[in-house]
Formats: sequence, structure tokens, C-alpha cells
Amino acid sequence: MITDNFIENTKSVADLKIGDTAKIISVGDDCIDIHCHCLRLMELGFTPGQEVTVVAKSPFKDPVAVSVRGTIIALRKNEAECIKIN
Amino acid sequence: MVLNAEKKDTGTNTLNNISKENNLPVIALIGMPNSGKTTLFNSLTGSNFKTSNYPGATVEYSVGKLISRYGFDAYIMDSPGIISLNPGSPDEDVTIDGLFHHPKFGLPDVVIVTCDVTQLSRQLYLVKQVIETGFKTIIALTMNDLLAKKDLEVSTEKLSDLLKTPVFKINSKSREGLSEAISRTESMLQDDSIADYKSRIHKLPLPSEDEVAKMYEYTESAEKHVLEHKTNKLDLDEINRKSFHSLSRTPDKSSLKLDKIFLHPIWGIFIFFISMGIIFTSIFWIAQPLMDLIDAGFSNLSSLVSDSLPPDTWYSSLITNGMINGFGSVMIFVPQIVILFILLGLLEDTGYLARAAMLIDKPLSKFGLNGRSFIPMLSGYACAIPAMMAARTISNRRERFLTIMIIPLMSCSARLPVYAMLLAFVVPPDKPWVAGLGLGALYLFSIIAGAVTAGIISKFKKTEEKSTFMLELPPYRAPVFRHVFKNTYYKALVYVKQAGPIIIVFSLVLWALTYFPNVDPVLPESRTSGLDEDQVSMLIESERLNTSFAATVGKYVFEPVLAPLGWDWRIGVSLISAFAAREIFVSAMAITFNITESEDDEDNFRHSILTSMREARSPDGTKPLFTTASTIALIIYFMFAMQCLSTVAVARKETGSWKIPLLQIGLYTVMAYVLAFVTYRGLNLLGIQ
Ligand SMILES: Nc1nc2c(ncn2[C@@H]2O[C@H](COP(=O)(O)OP(=O)(O)O)[C@@H](O)[C@H]2O)c(=O)[nH]1
Ligand SMILES: [Mg+2]
Repeated sequence: MITDNFIENTKSVADLKIGDTAKIISVGDDCIDIHCHCLRLMELGFTPGQEVTVVAKSPFKDPVAVSVRGTIIALRKNEAECIKIN
Repeated sequence: MVLNAEKKDTGTNTLNNISKENNLPVIALIGMPNSGKTTLFNSLTGSNFKTSNYPGATVEYSVGKLISRYGFDAYIMDSPGIISLNPGSPDEDVTIDGLFHHPKFGLPDVVIVTCDVTQLSRQLYLVKQVIETGFKTIIALTMNDLLAKKDLEVSTEKLSDLLKTPVFKINSKSREGLSEAISRTESMLQDDSIADYKSRIHKLPLPSEDEVAKMYEYTESAEKHVLEHKTNKLDLDEINRKSFHSLSRTPDKSSLKLDKIFLHPIWGIFIFFISMGIIFTSIFWIAQPLMDLIDAGFSNLSSLVSDSLPPDTWYSSLITNGMINGFGSVMIFVPQIVILFILLGLLEDTGYLARAAMLIDKPLSKFGLNGRSFIPMLSGYACAIPAMMAARTISNRRERFLTIMIIPLMSCSARLPVYAMLLAFVVPPDKPWVAGLGLGALYLFSIIAGAVTAGIISKFKKTEEKSTFMLELPPYRAPVFRHVFKNTYYKALVYVKQAGPIIIVFSLVLWALTYFPNVDPVLPESRTSGLDEDQVSMLIESERLNTSFAATVGKYVFEPVLAPLGWDWRIGVSLISAFAAREIFVSAMAITFNITESEDDEDNFRHSILTSMREARSPDGTKPLFTTASTIALIIYFMFAMQCLSTVAVARKETGSWKIPLLQIGLYTVMAYVLAFVTYRGLNLLGIQ
């Protein structure tokens, strides 16, 4: 249900393992859904060029806790999928 | 002073014309979540803390008066944390609206933005927006002590030059920097050099993604510009080049370590269940003696008053049974509310609450709920009232309303006496453990019923609004007990003030329905002979109830409806009485079935109520009224029915409209009825009478 909103071949924060760090290349560029919360993600500090680290995951692997700009933000997997990384 | 002389219409804000209380200036505190607003608020209002809370449909503002040491009077307004001034969720929308059109205070005269310096590039985003909106703005930099641990500090001169706004480093706990910031606020209040200051304030349009990215480029360069090395200022270029990112952008180290434990796949779950278990048992067991005490207090008061009033008059009954009991049924919930909010406040303060929500989010999201729904649902097992109030922590409006919607299905403690009585009737006396098993099953069944109901409602009521989680996990910190207690006190006060009147009105209506019109029933000699005075008065009470309006409604409206379930009007009347509180069902049954034993002698009471249940006949007199099937149907009915007017009142208050409470009454009554019917007929078909 979530995946058809995205082009599959790019990596996103949802693909990172605990401890992995990556640089954001885009946020919500391939989102087709206009009600997507990508603007919100950017306002929270997930902007292109920013480095993020996955610091923890819930025991159910979703949500994931991502460190960005000095804080930690828990995101659901489908939200993390909006954040593309290289 | 020209503090509030100008009250010009801003064009967008007609509410601004409403006169402010006492015409004092209003200083609003704005900031991202956990940026230190409330800590600052508490220091500024101090012992002068005369808060009035405004729980609207979603948000709560605390307002207090500035303490006298700063030499002028002003209101300080604390607001819930926001990420930006662009409404990102319906709740933030309400928060932001409150900032621009507060019903009581209008537009603030000065805004103090708290800014956590350990996340400067993030927090400057909101700071920048507030300045652009046109507010007179003062920046209060918080958490400087934490930044100092990284050997960094912010140059207030540079930041203030950059933003063209006064900037102060503060520490709310040690009061460092507060008097400087406040005296600057005072001079800003008096400064009326900007003509039409308030009419210049405007809401910002929604930015595009590019604009957000641009803004962050700006805040990043600002961060680089103003951060300085504390001990070795010369080395700035070196830091910026080498260790800048890791220095200023790494989260609190010890929090990262603690998260390894608290979010651990095994230990995390273990700790989660332990802490939730502690909350649950506290609201269930620790509150009990306090509730008993309140209960006893009100019954003593009631009997004291009734002794001093002429006996058997309507006004004596109005005062004792109507008003005192009504007030008692408001106060009885206070211990649970207080305990729940103290524990929640402590958990929230430590930072664990956000982790707990994250842990349980996945399973709950399957039912359209949110990780933050868990604690309200759990609290619902004690009492729906504090539970609905606890749902305020759910920021997504839809998920919050859905949580409030299903809370009445959680098996609250008021159902316990009802279940105990009914199970005792069904279960063979030599096998009491079956009743325990049954009770466990009822508890389990109620969470399943709640989850399924939530799932079905969220399937049917699709919205555009996508469910989100996006929760900031704040660093772990030691809780500040004083603030938690204060906060709890005000929450309890708000409950008593806001929900109290509705509950009392409902209680009075119920009293009138069960008291009138046969105020002085005359009993034939034959029924009273050989009974002592107490027993006679019990009989009189029973006769009065059985000829009351409630009984009329019971006989003519309820009996035909209830007959398919195997019940008669007496159960109907008891059900009506139980709207005041579910546990009243037991005493109402005792009254309608003419039990002459007092409830104080528990064994006798239970024995005689069970005996009269066994002796009671169905309306046509041919069959026993209470059969295994009809009693189990009654249990099923109680699981679902919205049998609590206090809950209705609080649902109305918390959601800001009658929609949810009316839906609850309608839906849950139908569900209760249909399921009770299916149970009754189904058991009959299986050969169980
Ligand atoms: N170390 C440190 N902690 C602070 C400071 N100001 C506030 N805190 C703590 O930060 C946490 C969040 O503060 P709070 O006032 O509740 O933030 P709010 O969400 O903006 O209202 C609390 O645990 C405070 O005790 C500060 O200057 N330094
Ligand atoms: Mg706060």
C-alpha cells in the first residue's frame, strides 16, 4: 500500500540498519500522494545534505529512531521511506 | 505606559477586540517541544502561579502572572510545543490559532521563543518564523549547560546581530539570565515606536519544500557563525572544518546508551510491561482505599445532613441523594486522576513515555490507533474519565478521538462489583475459581472488543489525513517532582470544574426520575408487620423507586425492549439508575428487588440478593427471571453499554462536541443489546436456559 507511492530502486532511511549513517539526497521527491507528510519531515530537520543515523528500532522494527541535527526522532517505516539517501 | 492602549483590529483577528483580563500585557512562550518553555514558565510565574487552564477541544494553555520581583505585572502564557508556525497537524493548528486568536488574551504583546542550543540549526527554524510573523520577539537560549559539555557556546551578540532581535542565555533553574531577558521584555512592551504593531502580525503562508530547504541552509550557516569554542576561541575554523558536525549535531550520549536498553528487543519489552503494570496496579489498587475514604466521607456527610433535616421530605432526599451523592460521584474519580497524572507526568519528564509510545506503536497502528493510545487504553481499565484526559498526549486528532471512542469498552473498575454479583449467580458455589476465570476472560475480551471496534471504525471512516507518528525522543532526564505535582493539581482542578457540573446535573436528573412522583408511598400493614424500622424504610424506598418515573419508563419503554433478552422492567430500572455509575446497578437491584438487608453487611447482602435473584419470576410469572442465559446476557450487555453519564460528560469536554459521546451512546447501546440478544438466544439454542 505504501510502496506504490515510491520508485523502488533508491535507498531510503527505512533501509538503514542500527548504527548506519547516511546523507539525505532528497525528501519526498517521488511521493505521489499529496497528503504525504514530507513537508513536515523537512520542517523537523530532514533536509537534503543532512546526515542522519539510525540509532534504535522498536522491537517490531517499526518505528525507527533517527538522529538528526542533535535530536532523535522516531519515524514510522513509511515515513522513513520518504527520506532518500545515497 | 501604553501597554494595551492600542487594541487595533488586525483584520484577520476580530477577537483581538475582546478586552483582556485586567488589561495586563501578555507574554507568550513559544518553542519546540522540550525546549524548556514550561521550566521557564514555572520560574517566571513561581509562587505567583495562578494558572487558569483552557482545555479546548485539544490544547491546553497555562497562564500565570509574572512574579513580583521583576517589578511589573504581566500574564505569562505557556503553550504546547510546536515545530513550526505552519499547521502541520490539526492539533498544532489549534495551538497556532490560540497564539493568533486566544479567546481570552488575544494576540500576545511580546513573544519569548525558547531555543535549545544543543540543536541550534533545528530550533532556529521556528525562531526565524516567529520573527517573520511580526511578533515582538525575544530569544531565550536554553540548555547552555549541555552545550558547554561539548566545550561549545553560543555568542549572543553574533546571534542577536544576525536575527536583529534580543537574544539571552538563560538557565531557568538557576535563574541565570532571567532578569536581563525580562527587563528587556518590559522595555519592549513599553516601546510603541512600531505603529500598529499588532496589525502587522500575519500568519505565514505554507512554505514550499524548497523554501524549507533554503531556510535550513540559513539556520545552518547561522549555527556555524554563532557557535564558539568555549576554551579555545581561536580554533574556530579548525572546529568547523573537522569536528563540527559530530560536535554540534550528535544527540545526548547517555540517552543513546539508555536507548540501547529501553528499546532493546527483549529488555525493552520487559521494561515496558513492568512500567505499564506499575501504572495499572497503582490506579487500580492504590487509588482504591482513597476512593473508599471519599465514598465513606460522602455517605457520612449525607447521613449527617439527613439526620439534621426533617426525615422523608423531598428536599432532604434532594440534598442527600441528589446533590451530595452527585458531588460525591464527581470527587470519587479524583484519586485515580491524580495518581494517573503523577505517574504519567513523571514518565513523560524522564523521557520514557515517548519511548513507550514508540515501542507499542506498530501493533496499535494495525487498528488505526497510535503508540500514544496505549496509556489511555490501559488507564481505561481503572476508569474512563482519567483515561480520556490522558488521551491529550495523542497529537493526531483522529487517533485521539478514536482512542477516546473505544475507552468506554475497556473494563473499568466500576464494572467489577456488577460482574462479581452476576458471576456469583451463574457460577456453581462449589467452584468459585470459575468466576475468577470468567473475570479474566472478560478483561481479555474487552481489549479485543476495543481493538476490533477501533479497527472497524477506522476502516469505515477513511480520511485524507494520513496517520503519522513522527515523535521526538527527548534526552533522558531526572523528573522535576514539584512541576509534576503542580501540573497534576491543575489537571484535577480542571476536571472538577469542567466535568463536575455536567455530572452533577445528570445526577440530579436521575435522582428526580427515580424519586418522583410517588414521594410518600403507603405500604399495607401486611407487608410491614414484623419488620424493624430500617427494613421498613428500605421497603418504602423500594416502593418509591418501583412507582417512580424511572419505573414507568422501565415498564412501558424498557420491558418490551428487554423481554427478548429475558429481562423485565426491574432490571430496566436498575440499568437506568446505573447510568449514574455502573456499580450502582448492584444497589439498585437490591432496592428494586425489595432486599431488606443493608449493604453494609456484605455476606448477608450478597446472600439475600442472590436469593432474590433466584426467586424472581419473569413478567408472566412462569419462569425464573434470572437464568444462566439471561444473566450471561446481562454481563455481555455491561461489557459494551455506555452505562456511565460521567464518561459521557468527559467525552463531551475532551472532544469539544457532542458528536463522539452521542455516537458512543448510540453505537455501544446497540452493540450491547444485539450481543446480549445473540448471547441469550444462542445459549437457549444450545439448551442452556
Ligand atoms: N540541562 C538543562 N535542562 C533544562 C533546561 N531547561 C529545561 N530543562 C529540562 O528540559 C526538559 C524539558 O523542559 P520543558 O520545560 O518541559 O520543555 P517544554 O516541552 O518546552 O515545556 C525538562 O526536563 C527540564 O528540566 C536547561 O537550561 N538546562
Ligand atoms: Mg511544556
